[in-house]
Amino acid sequence: MGTAELVALMLADGRLPTGGHTQSAGLEPAVRAGLGADGKQLHEVQTYARDRLRTVTRVDAAVAVVARHVILTGRPPEPPPSRVDWSAPGSPSREPWSPNHNPNSRLDATAEQAKPGGLGSGLGSGLEVVERAWAARVSSQVVREAVRRQGRLLLRLAGRVWPGVGEYLPPDGEIARPIVLGVVAAVTGLSAEQLARVVAYDDAQTVVSASLKLLPVDPAEAATWLAALHDDIEKLVADVAPLTDVDKIPANAAPLIDIHAQNHVTERMRLFHA
Amino acid sequence: MPETRSFRLGVAGPVGTGKSSLIATICRELADELRLGVITNDIYTDEDARLLRSAGVLDPDRIRAVETGACPHTAIRDDVTPNLIAVEDLERDFAPLDVVLVESGGDNLTATFSPALVDAQIFVLDVAGGGDVARKGGPGIARADLLVVNKTDLAPYVEVDVDRMVKDAEAARDGKPVLALSRKDPASVAKLKEWVRHMTAQVSTGDHTPVDPGPMAPHSHVGEDGSVITHVHTH
Ligand SMILES: Nc1nc2c(ncn2[C@@H]2O[C@H](COP(=O)(O)OP(=O)(O)OP(=O)(O)O)[C@@H](O)[C@H]2O)c(=O)[nH]1
Ligand SMILES: [Mg+2]
Repeated sequence: MGTAELVALMLADGRLPTGGHTQSAGLEPAVRAGLGADGKQLHEVQTYARDRLRTVTRVDAAVAVVARHVILTGRPPEPPPSRVDWSAPGSPSREPWSPNHNPNSRLDATAEQAKPGGLGSGLGSGLEVVERAWAARVSSQVVREAVRRQGRLLLRLAGRVWPGVGEYLPPDGEIARPIVLGVVAAVTGLSAEQLARVVAYDDAQTVVSASLKLLPVDPAEAATWLAALHDDIEKLVADVAPLTDVDKIPANAAPLIDIHAQNHVTERMRLFHA
Repeated sequence: MPETRSFRLGVAGPVGTGKSSLIATICRELADELRLGVITNDIYTDEDARLLRSAGVLDPDRIRAVETGACPHTAIRDDVTPNLIAVEDLERDFAPLDVVLVESGGDNLTATFSPALVDAQIFVLDVAGGGDVARKGGPGIARADLLVVNKTDLAPYVEVDVDRMVKDAEAARDGKPVLALSRKDPASVAKLKEWVRHMTAQVSTGDHTPVDPGPMAPHSHVGEDGSVITHVHTH
């Protein structure tokens, strides 16, 4: 096994065969909704990547860091005390989303977890708690599905390249990508900082490189945007790397990104999966 | 190999040469005797998946689209994971399937399937692309398991000599089969059917060894003595 530094480089490399070419980190639907103004406001691509670093990507990185911690300490985290019984029938706040309304409701989190190959299907390592904490913070079911699909793609590769990963995750499980990255980091010796940096860099790079396919962008300019995001990436790293507690995972959200994602799945013309 | 493993058959070739139509033909002709599934790799729309679904030749649920992020070449060659997962899910959801057809997004002459994704592949050219395409060669033309010269019914209109084109292709292929096809020519469709049947049997009995056409075209250069040397790099 190589050094942690090299593992980090591999994970950050878009050429690693994990389906990265199918992802735009939500940029495609955002562009369709007007981001970049047909090429007249190209700097919005950078702003979009920064907004993600401050919201959704921050959550992903924190989840990865905590998942890594759970594996390394071997101590399953305490599930957060349930302050409300979310699934209580008739619970008023729950009403509009109640699975009882529609037995096939795709918003039913319980059904999601029961999926074959998903984490709900019996893992003792405590990662379910972290995965559930992640799912609770990602309100779009479409985004959850896309991130879990990406997790499965990575897991498939990671299980072969770093067989230790298989001790913690079921083969071919649809498991949120940050969880899979956290396990890879634990198994290969990546530090929490390196892991958070990989998550952040990968997300920003996904946005920036997708912009080359979606907008009239000069590739060298795109690289300049990425370089200009380094401070934001390091800020994210400093914030999330010390986290060890599931309850401390931030819950930043970007509702517009969720709305775009929901629109994207029904779109007929699309280059990217998400 | 899990019991649900099907014969995975790739269909590649430049844009518009008739890949979707060929898959529709296979489905129409063989859906009664073989359990089929289809994965399409649309470049920009779900047009191919739609076309096949609306052709009514196969249960629409058995036709799934995979996005390729504008990288149809990557999706069948450098990073086949999204396709592989789609194939496996289809095999699982409709187990057991005999054949899963994977349509490439239609790239250039160098795009061929990785052996990690398919067991065999068909490369589709059409007469409208010009009679000299087969002679120009390329990895798919030279080494796909079957080369189809499609839309032969159009040959008179585009002034292409089909026999000539087939001969050129055969010369580039070292004996591997070439099929002149038109959906309007039942005899050619029957030959296509026969080939698919035969390959399905071969793969299921383990008698077929996947060949990788590779991304590199055979190419020629002039040797020291002035003779033309054609070869394929193996490294
Ligand atoms: N005349 C004639 N036209 C054909 C034949 N096969 C396909 N076509 C036509 O060729 C056009 C392209 O066919 P498709 O099957 O969509 O080609 P494709 O290779 O899947 O195209 P892409 O997926 O866009 O790369 C369509 O208009 C078909 O109707 C044939 O045998 N004869
Ligand atoms: Mg097609």
